[in-house]
Amino acid sequence: MSTIKHCLTVVAAVALVSGAAQANENLLELQDNSELWALQLGNYAGNRHSRLDQIDRDNVQDLRATWQFSTGVLRGHEGGPLYVGDGRLYIHTPFPNRVFALDIEDEGRIVWMYEPDQDPRVVPIMCCDTVNRGLAYADGRLFLAQADNTVIALSAEDGELLWSAKNGDHTRGESMTMSPLVVNNKVIVGNSGGEFGVRGHITAYNAETGEQEWRGYSTGPDSEVLLDPETTLMMGEPVGEADLGVSTWPEGEWEIGGGAPWGWVTYDPELNLIYYGSGNPGTWNPAQRAVDGEPADNKWSITVFARDADTGMAKWVYQKVPFDEWDYDGVNENQLIDVEMNGEERKGLAIIDRTGFGFLLDRETGELLVAEKFAPETNWATHYDMDTGRPVVDPDYSTFTQGTDVNTTDICPTAMGAKNMQPSSYSPDTGLIYAGINRICMNYEPHEVEYTSGQPYVGATLTMMPAPGDNGMEGRMGSFMAWDPVAGEVVWEVEERFAVWSGALTTAGNLAFYGTLEGYVKAVDIENGDELWRFKTPSGIIGNVNTFQHNGKQYIAVLSGVGGWAGIGLAAGLTDPEEGLGAVGVFSALEDYTKLGGVLTVFALPD
Amino acid sequence: MRTKQKQAAVVCAVAALALFMLAGKIAISNEEPRYRVEDGKVDDNIFRGYQAYTRACMACHGPDGVGSSFAPSLLRAAERRTFAEFARTVAEGQEIQPGQVMPSFSDDAFVMEHVSDIYTYLSARAAGDLGRGRPQRIEEDE
Ligand code: HEC
Repeated sequence: MSTIKHCLTVVAAVALVSGAAQANENLLELQDNSELWALQLGNYAGNRHSRLDQIDRDNVQDLRATWQFSTGVLRGHEGGPLYVGDGRLYIHTPFPNRVFALDIEDEGRIVWMYEPDQDPRVVPIMCCDTVNRGLAYADGRLFLAQADNTVIALSAEDGELLWSAKNGDHTRGESMTMSPLVVNNKVIVGNSGGEFGVRGHITAYNAETGEQEWRGYSTGPDSEVLLDPETTLMMGEPVGEADLGVSTWPEGEWEIGGGAPWGWVTYDPELNLIYYGSGNPGTWNPAQRAVDGEPADNKWSITVFARDADTGMAKWVYQKVPFDEWDYDGVNENQLIDVEMNGEERKGLAIIDRTGFGFLLDRETGELLVAEKFAPETNWATHYDMDTGRPVVDPDYSTFTQGTDVNTTDICPTAMGAKNMQPSSYSPDTGLIYAGINRICMNYEPHEVEYTSGQPYVGATLTMMPAPGDNGMEGRMGSFMAWDPVAGEVVWEVEERFAVWSGALTTAGNLAFYGTLEGYVKAVDIENGDELWRFKTPSGIIGNVNTFQHNGKQYIAVLSGVGGWAGIGLAAGLTDPEEGLGAVGVFSALEDYTKLGGVLTVFALPD
Repeated sequence: MRTKQKQAAVVCAVAALALFMLAGKIAISNEEPRYRVEDGKVDDNIFRGYQAYTRACMACHGPDGVGSSFAPSLLRAAERRTFAEFARTVAEGQEIQPGQVMPSFSDDAFVMEHVSDIYTYLSARAAGDLGRGRPQRIEEDE
């Protein structure tokens, strides 16, 4: 047994004795140990970077699968394995949300398995597959956000259920897909259900007891959003006006206003702020969210929130897309990176956004510093006004201007976003962000829709096609890119046949890893994107590539298992927009490459 | 669209469908679906079926009825299933494999009103009379 394991056991024991130990102290320790992968995003800052360098540019071609494990679940597998130094990998599955503890030293023998008992009626209200983005760990406990809105804590030792808390109601369209984050002895988790007219909220539960500590809504009165118009900042100034979460909606619409924060949460321990984005507003038909026939901001949908981790109070807000007309769901991860800009050190927050724009904000004040297109086909907005922080929308691609029951064509990017939830990676060595990208555009036709509790509340139909060919990527629907968050420029980019829907990883071995929808895990040179190694897993990858070191050996591990929105949209290929009526799926069909099935694959160099 | 009269009609239609199903017969169950496609343009039934499909079914069954990683192709279903079988599945839902859930639409007036249009649209797609994408109506642009 490694010394690390003993050392950790001691740490865990001390934490248990002292009782009130802050969970983030434990996690801070774990994230600083480069051998571990204790958080889904690698660290609180969301960087998905590892300082391990045993596997490097020179030997990566020798990397081989050491063992594989089938989860027995067919749906899309997002998220990835956790390694906290106890000789096990902890993994999860989509609905029915199994949790496995696997023995690394016995090639994945099941130490224990937990399977919750959930109402299958939650399955059809999960709009885009029954995915789950993974476990959180702190102080010997594992935390999971079940599809049926139950937050649970399990003993990592034996899988015993320690507590459970009800976070929502699936009969009203609420569900959960996200990975919780543990901060200051609180488990922070948000709801899903933006396509069912839910009201988005993020909630903190006591990590030891499961008691609710605070809840902040994405819409509604300030008292429930946990926002103070005199002190909460927007673009560096106080918000000013009260209850914008009510007044920027037609009468009562905020109650079904969406803004579900189903993506990743990051945390800055020095500022004691958590960061996350809220989802799309209620119906996709913008006309039903207009006030007096005019566009209305629908606050605080598609908004980056910086909240005090202990009270939930919003320190600042930045609405990326006021009055959404394209379903540019604002949940993408907020990477916390320290940058130098115009000779000044800044605490930055970088987003590779659904909208096709790469943002850089000041994470202390929420000021917008950079907003540039990373996907050149992006056309819904020409640019962002850096003084107001608002996008300048092109009326040709405004589905509100074009109108209800009008098919607005050739909007880029698609509602899937130029990047979806797949979390990016930041390398402090290169100062660049690495991300999987979708190169897909859409036609969008809004229609009137009536709200019925528990029923879809969508109000638009859309068709998707690959981004236009003049981007030099004929027939390609994805890419993997290196992005300079300060200059706002793509540094290099490699093409992929399909949208890249997996989380990225960078390592001190000068490597970047990602997975493809066909099922390849790839390692590329961090300097230029040259492919150095690939392996075909049994099914398409929408999970994240993670790394850790156990008994002196570095491992790479990934969950494969195609599904999610990518699987629904791309299974049978897309049509050629030029072909018009009668088009067949000329662009590669995902179903020709891969089928369903969740598998964990663990790689290492030969001895 | 949303008048009281229409609502009442829908409720009646649903009730009628349910009755037919109870009696084990649906008036048109053994007939080939009738539709008109001219120069790639479609009649109102198909167009309404396309709209209803994209609004209510596409999120799971994928674009244009082709199926997805989440739910099977409905082109195949339209070929292999009678309208009665098809309508029963839509009304009652289905879960053959655990966790693979086709919801029941019996409470969804919009869908129940359009089941036969959806079936017609999918049949036209399955027969190869209609390609992928948003079809144009025969009256449009004329
Ligand atoms: C929430 C996802 C979801 C939605 C929405 C949905 N379906 Fe399904 N459907 C499924 C799944 C999953 C199956 C496969 C069920 C099984 O294997 O038991 C299925 C099966 C079916 C079948 C049986 C297929 C066969 O080969 O017999 C039919 C017919 C069908 N769906 C029609 C529809 C229609 C029409 C709509 C829209 C009104 C619709 N579905 C909407 C998920 C969905």
